[in-house]
Amino acid sequence: MRTHLHPLLSALQRNPTGAVLVTLQVAITLAVLVNAAAMVGRAITRIAQPSGLDTSNTFVMVIGGITKQFNVARAVSADLAYLRSLPDVTAATVTTGVPLTSDGFQEPLGRRSDGHGTTVAADLLPVDEQGLRALDVPLVAGRNFRTDEVAPQSSGHPFHDISSIIVTQSVARALFPHGHALGGTVYINGGQPLTIIGVTRDFMGPHLSGSAYNTVLLPTIVTQFGFYDLLVRTRPGTLESVLHRAKRHIGATHANGMIVYTPTLTGALRRLHAGQRNLVVFLAVITSIMLTFCCFGIFGLNTFNVGSRTKQIGIRRAVGARKGDIVAHFMLENAIVLTAGLLLGALLSLAIGQWLTRHDGMPRLGPAYLLAGMLVLGLVAQLAAWQPARRAARVPPSVATRTV
Amino acid sequence: MLGYYVRMAWKSLRRTPGLTALMVSGIALGISACIVTLTVYHAMSSNPIWWKNNVLYAVTLDPWGASHRSSTYRGPDLLTYRDATYLLSSRIPRRKTLLTSIEGALAGAPDQHRPLPVNTEATTADFFRMFAVPFLYGGPWSAAADAGPDPVIVLSRHENEKLFGGIDSVGRTLLWNKRRFRVVGVLDHWNPQPRFYDLTANGGGAFARPANTFIPFQWGPTLQIWPSGTMECQRTGPGSSYAQLENADCGWIAMWVELPDAAARRHFLAAMNAYAAEQRSAGRFQGPLNNHLWRVGAWLRLHHVVSERSRLLVALSFALLAVCLTNTVGILLAKFLRTAPLAGVRRALGASRRQIFAQHLIEAATLSVLGAALGLLLGVGGLKGVRVLYLHSNNAYGKLAHFDALGIAWALALAVLATLLAGVYPAWRAGRVAPAAHLKSQ
Repeated sequence: MRTHLHPLLSALQRNPTGAVLVTLQVAITLAVLVNAAAMVGRAITRIAQPSGLDTSNTFVMVIGGITKQFNVARAVSADLAYLRSLPDVTAATVTTGVPLTSDGFQEPLGRRSDGHGTTVAADLLPVDEQGLRALDVPLVAGRNFRTDEVAPQSSGHPFHDISSIIVTQSVARALFPHGHALGGTVYINGGQPLTIIGVTRDFMGPHLSGSAYNTVLLPTIVTQFGFYDLLVRTRPGTLESVLHRAKRHIGATHANGMIVYTPTLTGALRRLHAGQRNLVVFLAVITSIMLTFCCFGIFGLNTFNVGSRTKQIGIRRAVGARKGDIVAHFMLENAIVLTAGLLLGALLSLAIGQWLTRHDGMPRLGPAYLLAGMLVLGLVAQLAAWQPARRAARVPPSVATRTV
Repeated sequence: MLGYYVRMAWKSLRRTPGLTALMVSGIALGISACIVTLTVYHAMSSNPIWWKNNVLYAVTLDPWGASHRSSTYRGPDLLTYRDATYLLSSRIPRRKTLLTSIEGALAGAPDQHRPLPVNTEATTADFFRMFAVPFLYGGPWSAAADAGPDPVIVLSRHENEKLFGGIDSVGRTLLWNKRRFRVVGVLDHWNPQPRFYDLTANGGGAFARPANTFIPFQWGPTLQIWPSGTMECQRTGPGSSYAQLENADCGWIAMWVELPDAAARRHFLAAMNAYAAEQRSAGRFQGPLNNHLWRVGAWLRLHHVVSERSRLLVALSFALLAVCLTNTVGILLAKFLRTAPLAGVRRALGASRRQIFAQHLIEAATLSVLGAALGLLLGVGGLKGVRVLYLHSNNAYGKLAHFDALGIAWALALAVLATLLAGVYPAWRAGRVAPAAHLKSQ
């Protein structure tokens, strides 16, 4: 089986329009395919990032005061006593902020009292001694807050009358790169010195921009803003019933307060990932439509070529070409057009990738995505040319003897 | 002639139903993707108060200086209580307003048992005229009510429907945070997207709905209710009492002014800078002057309201359209070459090249119109799908995905574009068919 390039190239040269069109299609399709795959990859990585929380069994009740007479400290202790008396409540704590929703305090946390040097943007969750259990985050070092360490806020600043802090491993690593975070001293926005008494496994706080796991726990109950968030973890399968009971009871308890809303962490997580998930759907739909039409284009070009060269194929068969030669001819012709398209598409992919890096914060387009994309598109496109090539091979040599 | 060409095109398309279906569906899918993404992009990037773009300004004042931040830092978005109340006393702007959000509780409507949580915008009387807020009943409160502050409240249309069943409730009293307030106005439908005057709402950001109740700004300080929106503090916290908050270096108040001309704008900016310089010599402000007046358009750009993501999706849809149109060009070319003998006969019978060209272009146009019509249907469905996808999300995409007249305009424009891109070259090739060659071999 021998195939010469010369007749192929001259055939392409005599009628280049179809080949040029297919080249363009392949180039655009490759560029979209490669960059879409990279974006989908990144979105999936983000969605798959563990929250470190017991999302399916946890809800939050945001309670707000209606008048200045609303006594937060007293309301909190009444609500917590009620919640902890429920058999299906594993743990309950009070905080300011709702994990995964961008609702909460965020302040720079660093090792210097003047606020200079390395800082991390830390999510600050004030909790009581049940905080760790309610959040379902285990300590990897140190200890939990003692009951006598937790006190309702007494001074003007929500975090100025405390002296201990529990941080995640991410925070510990960022501020103490050489270890020894436990027992170390840190400052919130240059405030009071705080001693790290515990280090927990990583978990997500309210704010997820930057590093998602820069979360710290503080032993206090913030009272000055007139509202608080009850974070309740329930036994598996009982969240709905506990939420229903708690809403009825607590909603009727406070004369000067009300339940503002009651987000579940499952809902928060779903809202959080909605954008990424929908981007994946959108990209998958557009890319597969594009790939399908690109294949139609290749199939169409080859079908047209076979149809318009029936006589020539017959002549070649009559002078000795085998069926395999004819198939090889069309497959090779397709491969040449395809290669041109893939090379042009690779350049286009890199250009688009660079634009995305600059404007959309995408990481640099990895060569693996590009190579995989070229391989996949190349294979699919060759498959699309297979049927027309087979049909060409079925043209009988007798065609050469007929006059059209 | 045109009718004849359309009939010929129709016949020709019916002869090859498979190819026609392929071309029409390609154009339709490409156009529908473009309609979906363009609709959302347009809604996102629109300036909902464009006719006042040259007179409305957001006021930003930077007490802390750009020294320890990047050189592009434009200062905090929100003003401290001290700065906001000082600037509000200026007589230069024609209108001026402050705003901050408060979580409120509303009670006292007929048949209401439990207080209802409401988002309250604490603002001044000018808010409504500055932002062209439409009223269904009543109107804004008076400037005197700002100073009082008088217990007056404006309800959104939706809130009025919920509380009073949609009747004219002006003059009724309600309990806002357990205090009696008199309804002075009920808004009509009003939902500027993006919500340019406050882009930082909790849960919803730039595309959140406006608050459902409005009260005079001074009620916050009078009742000492803490603001519930964004608060950006420098060094020291907000303090424990409202009196401390009023003096704290914490920004939590948005300010807008209406300045009728360039001279007023210059005057006001000069007054801002003079105030900042005075505060600096008093030791309160640091760093160089970094004070700005932002037009609505510039304000939206500054806050990246149009995400790069949505721009990207528009580009992606056009790439899809390009691939589908390229396909159509190839198919039309092949088809026209196959029917070249017919064109040859027509040429021989006296048709001019231009007529042959027109005939084939109309075939392409017929395809595009069919594609656009189908694309419009798919686009409406697609927008519905997008809304369902984003049902449980704060993302703007779902909120803005509403089909409107603009969608039809896009479809028409894209159909013309498709005809030109996909039809012109094949039709031109068909027009150049030499009649002799085709007559001979018959």
